[in-house]
Amino acid sequence: MTKLEETVSVLYDSEVEFVLIGGAAMGVQGSAHLTKDIAFCYERTAKNIEPLARALQPFHPPLRGAPAGLPFQFDAKTIAAGMNFTLTTDLGDVNFLGEVSGLGAYKEVLASSEKKSIGGIDCPVLNLDGLIKAKEAAARPRDLYVLPELRGLAGLKKKTGLE
Amino acid sequence: MNMTAEQEKLALELIHNSPPGSALAAAKEFGVDLTLLISTLRLSPTERARALSESSTIFDVAKQLQFTE
Repeated sequence: MTKLEETVSVLYDSEVEFVLIGGAAMGVQGSAHLTKDIAFCYERTAKNIEPLARALQPFHPPLRGAPAGLPFQFDAKTIAAGMNFTLTTDLGDVNFLGEVSGLGAYKEVLASSEKKSIGGIDCPVLNLDGLIKAKEAAARPRDLYVLPELRGLAGLKKKTGLE
Repeated sequence: MNMTAEQEKLALELIHNSPPGSALAAAKEFGVDLTLLISTLRLSPTERARALSESSTIFDVAKQLQFTE
């Protein structure tokens, strides 16, 4: 099981700057699609990379799909040298992206987010317009497949005044 | 904030009688079961987050079944 609520709490408590994106953001916005992994966009500054590395350390984050025994440390140096990380942790499958297609880096993604209370934490979650832009830009079959539902959901929320 | 009874009534009306040319009509045409959205929109964001976590176990079960068959 991927622990969304706990992961958000861990990042928040460590003062990591992040935005919930991808399938988990879709779900929190009201989509009926299922997802196994949780994806976040994170700010790529030294001030943010250090707490991100520290926050994940207790949850044993190896690279997902990497050969067994491949030396990998999810530390500040590794994060600074990379961009996107797909990890399997004790919290579940968690991805950290430095940029989101169609939107840009953390600041642009944050500008397309809205706060949603998850377990009492005001968590920045990519809004439906942002999700639609990101999916249109990524344009893989799996992204295009969810677009009709996202657009329908956005229309439904707009017409009913739902948040 | 959860969906109010008034919002749910309007949402159901829009789902069952989607305005022609609307995004809802297009989603229905694509094959999206829009009634599922009512279930999710009844929940708070925290409840949706918990439901997502619980539903993610289905992938683990499917993976185990794949390996045992």
